[in-house]
Amino acid sequence: MAKTGKDKAGIYRQTLLDGLWRENPVFRLLLGMCPTLAVTAAVRPALTMGACVIFVLLCSNIVITLMRDLLKPHLRILMFTLTIATFVTIADLFLKAFQPEMSEKLGPYVPLIIVNCIIICRAEVCASKNAIAVSVIDALAMGVGFTVTLCVLAAVRELLGSGTILDARVMPRAFVPWAAMGMPVGAFLTLGLLLGMVNYLTGRKA
Amino acid sequence: MFRLKHFLEQSWLLIVSSFLFGLLIAVTNAALSPRIEQNRINKLNDRARALLPGVERFMPVEAEIVIKSGGRAERIDVYKAESKPGECVGWTFSASGPGFIDKIELVVAVDGNFEKLAGFDVLASSETARVGDQIKEPFFREQFVGAPVGDLIAVRSGDTSAKDEKIVTISGATITSEAVVEIISSSAKQIKKELQKKGLIGDGENR
Amino acid sequence: MDTLQTLTVGFIAIVVVKNLVFTKFLGICPYLGVSGRIDMAFGMGLAVTFVITLSGTMTWLIDHLLLIGTPLEVTRYVCFILVVAGAVQLVEMYLRKFFPSLYESFGIFLPLITTNCAILGLCLFLNLWRVNSLLEAVVLSFGAGIGFTMAICVMAGIRENLKLADVPACLKGAPITLITAGILAMAFMGFSGMIR
Repeated sequence: MAKTGKDKAGIYRQTLLDGLWRENPVFRLLLGMCPTLAVTAAVRPALTMGACVIFVLLCSNIVITLMRDLLKPHLRILMFTLTIATFVTIADLFLKAFQPEMSEKLGPYVPLIIVNCIIICRAEVCASKNAIAVSVIDALAMGVGFTVTLCVLAAVRELLGSGTILDARVMPRAFVPWAAMGMPVGAFLTLGLLLGMVNYLTGRKA
Repeated sequence: MFRLKHFLEQSWLLIVSSFLFGLLIAVTNAALSPRIEQNRINKLNDRARALLPGVERFMPVEAEIVIKSGGRAERIDVYKAESKPGECVGWTFSASGPGFIDKIELVVAVDGNFEKLAGFDVLASSETARVGDQIKEPFFREQFVGAPVGDLIAVRSGDTSAKDEKIVTISGATITSEAVVEIISSSAKQIKKELQKKGLIGDGENR
Repeated sequence: MDTLQTLTVGFIAIVVVKNLVFTKFLGICPYLGVSGRIDMAFGMGLAVTFVITLSGTMTWLIDHLLLIGTPLEVTRYVCFILVVAGAVQLVEMYLRKFFPSLYESFGIFLPLITTNCAILGLCLFLNLWRVNSLLEAVVLSFGAGIGFTMAICVMAGIRENLKLADVPACLKGAPITLITAGILAMAFMGFSGMIR
């Protein structure tokens, strides 16, 4: 992110676009695949997961950007992990207290946000190098980009796997749900085909 | 002395932030833990209340009940359901075991004499939607209401309305159905024996 | 006899029936990243097996000796991730000092392992499944590593042959790998229900 005479607004807009589409964490960078595949059997857990990731990403980016001048290079990764783990624990506690059902459904995938490569990647690439405003925008853009992708994947799987979206019936009664879409198989296949589609569309434009 | 100074210089940020983060977690936990605990109790009780009508409160059984499940010993929390103080109308406990995909956690209710099941509900399972997931449906669950505590048998076909030890499995989800039957019959049988040993319920002969 | 049976069943279960990659989606990132060549895949598998056994055992010990039943339980995730990161560092330093040739061949994989979700995931699952004997924890951790190695090697073998296939341009690379993984996951579903 070189500041070559560009005005600040330009940088902000670019960061936003990067996160939402040009460097979309799932489709473009292929980061954070585990939660992407594991929690997308239905839209509701996907949304919850997305919200948690946005929260953790935002908090850790803010903390890391504030301490970026104090970081020792060889203790850098350790500090990142420690910060992320702390905020994940807090997110997990909030989820347990206010969304107990979702917390149970997501199970170990909430703590697994710690090793979600997106967060550590943003800490390394963006937060440890930029001022607070850019870091916050970056965290929001990346988080929203991740959540939207998760929801698209979840919507496809929920629609075909049980004929509903957000637990509301959408498909006609005659529709026979594909049980396989709710299983690991459906996750891998849907993501593979979606990625292929994105490649096809962007490839044609270029 | 130099080494210590060097050490502190390198790691003061780590030490300070560990301390701050620890404090942050502790504060959040202190603020939220009563709510989390309450959620857990509510969940078990809400499900159990639907299974045992007329229950006013659930009393945890003080005695330590340990049963064997899947080759290892496990501690089970058993609750005594009372309609008014001293009047026992049933018992509830949670039991778990391996299903088709992952662990299935059930809450099971039994009548006051620990002789007939009063039903069960699913606390947590990740069984396949619309296949193994059907263990949550009334047509399967109602077969357990009134079934005797003891060895239950899973059968492929039969009368689903009969109140006996035969449980008709869900077609297409035989393994999940058998898993539920196994979890309930083995845990109920063992808890009954433990409760009798502790003298909390009669042994059936002097009744 | 009973223990031996539990251990064997647990081992087989975690290698094939509850394979972390195909049923829990853990360790997908390296799974997509380094499954291009079979020798690299095998190296990665071995490194993961080693670290997973070490950190699985250590987190189990920490969990049972320090955390369970005390108010410190809330710091479980922080403790676990520090153990995993520490274990990776230790292994890296040890190998560099005593087995330089092995270090050369593991080289690039070692730092990657810290963010391999399979490792932290397994530590969390050991806690979730309420594994309560040290021996079982060790066997399960080792099994999880073997399962990962198997999954990544199978995939690498397929991908080496996939180079000869005529894949549509837009599906080349990650998409076709994911689709293949889907079909593999379907095959592995045949094992579920094998172990009660």
